[in-house]
Amino acid sequence: MAAKDNAPEQRIAILPAMIAALNGAFDDISKAMRLHRVWIALAHEDIGDQHRRTTLGPLWMLVNYFAFVGTFAFVFVTKDASNPSYIAYVAIGMLVWFYLTETITMSVSLFQREASFIQGTTLPLFVYVMRLTMQCIIRAGYSLAGCVLILLLGGYGINTNWLLSLVGLLLLILATPAFVVVFAFLGAFFPDSEFIVGNLMRVGMFFTPVFWVYSGQEGIQEYAYNWNPFTYFLEGVREPITTGIFPGHALAVTGYFCLGLWAIALLLLGLYRKRIVFLI
Amino acid sequence: MTSITLNNVSLVYRLFEKLTLSAPGRRRSALGGNIAKSGTKQVVQALDGVSFELKAGDRLGLVGPNGAGKTTLLKVLYGIYQPSGGTISITGKVDALFNIHIGFRPEATGRRNIVLRGLISGWTAAEIEEKMEEIIDFSELGDFIDLPFKAYSQGMAARLAFAAATTLEPEILLMDEWIGAGDASFQEKAKRRMDELAEKAGIIVLASHDDALIQRVCTKKLTLRAGRVESLA
Ligand SMILES: Nc1ncnc2c1ncn2[C@@H]1O[C@H](COP(=O)(O)OP(=O)(O)O)[C@@H](O)[C@H]1O
Ligand SMILES: [Mg+2]
Repeated sequence: MAAKDNAPEQRIAILPAMIAALNGAFDDISKAMRLHRVWIALAHEDIGDQHRRTTLGPLWMLVNYFAFVGTFAFVFVTKDASNPSYIAYVAIGMLVWFYLTETITMSVSLFQREASFIQGTTLPLFVYVMRLTMQCIIRAGYSLAGCVLILLLGGYGINTNWLLSLVGLLLLILATPAFVVVFAFLGAFFPDSEFIVGNLMRVGMFFTPVFWVYSGQEGIQEYAYNWNPFTYFLEGVREPITTGIFPGHALAVTGYFCLGLWAIALLLLGLYRKRIVFLI
Repeated sequence: MTSITLNNVSLVYRLFEKLTLSAPGRRRSALGGNIAKSGTKQVVQALDGVSFELKAGDRLGLVGPNGAGKTTLLKVLYGIYQPSGGTISITGKVDALFNIHIGFRPEATGRRNIVLRGLISGWTAAEIEEKMEEIIDFSELGDFIDLPFKAYSQGMAARLAFAAATTLEPEILLMDEWIGAGDASFQEKAKRRMDELAEKAGIIVLASHDDALIQRVCTKKLTLRAGRVESLA
């Protein structure tokens, strides 16, 4: 009986708590934006570190990218590789997929890697989120250069379709900080997820139309195509260039997915940002 | 006006229960906070009902055995940890020196670390550039300033960290034990710096096992034991 009486009050109490959480999240984000010099400097340090330690530095990204695109283009030579549009398909698919994989796998261990700063400074958590976002974007820039080169060599002259593709890229970039927040919190609360997510992303490439083309097959491929959010991120960028069609459906799905992801990210940031320091 | 007021502050660390093969019996320890269990988690009560007040010009020495809660208290004052109970009110711009591995990038040069440190404390690039020579002079690192931070000795790192933090003129400066790593001549300089800072109506909180250092630098002394205030004089 008493529980029943309490129920409406509890429901009312959730709303202020949500609002407080969102306020906290926006506070963290706006502080981080005022400290943009910090994350820009730190992201440059990260790229610089890679340069200092290795001869090619971030150019390894480009080598890696060419190796993958080349392998897939030539392994599937029997089917489609004679067709330059397949090479473009794989090139753009790999670009987006690499970016997503990198971002997500690096996010899971983000707070762990930043432990020394989190335990020694009072920087807002979103500073680390932006640092990783920035680092991933810079690194993807190398693959992007490789991708553009492949497209040009494949005979895809620069035209207005590229502009349509930019909408997809923009959504991808807008979604990045939300991806980072969600997976960083996941990694902080469940350290095991670092390995689970790493493995899932490796397997995920085969369940996402990165290198295979969906043309109405049934069974697993149908599910993998339609029920995989990554499909839409990929198609939003790829379709305009390979087919010349405006990817309205893919962009709409991506847009809703981004909104959902950001909502989760804001709640996590608002509710748990002060706990992270105790978890790492 | 710079001030710090703590009212009945407590802090509890929650640890996730780890799977172990052996379960040794608990021994009472003269060190550390109090270990307890709550549900499936172990908790350590690192601070328990800590209250005190500091006003402009105060220099507080924190003493107590290992694990008494000194570092935890400094981190609560800095705002890294939200207390589990009680209230804190602080007026003034706070800076802190915890340990060499915190807030410094080993791969980056000393000079670059100064820039990063300044940016983190909210300074603009121009302001940092203006203070750069002064920081390098005070640290006496000379050409080492352009070597990676990881090539520094403890004392050298302490010099750099102290020089950067104090030149950027915090109103409240928190320092953990390791600041004692510098050599005698640096300790002397550091003491003068801290006097200046206190004269400018700043507050210093310094945790140390070195009684002589506390005697030299501080005007008040707070003894912690197992997270509780044992004495304040
Ligand atoms: N990150 C942590 N997780 C769990 N317990 C901790 C953590 N840091 C410190 N403690 C515990 O809190 C107590 C106070 O530690 P600390 O503040 O570091 O002491 P001091 O600096 O005085 O040596 C100790 O019992 C210590 O074991
Ligand atoms: Mg300590």
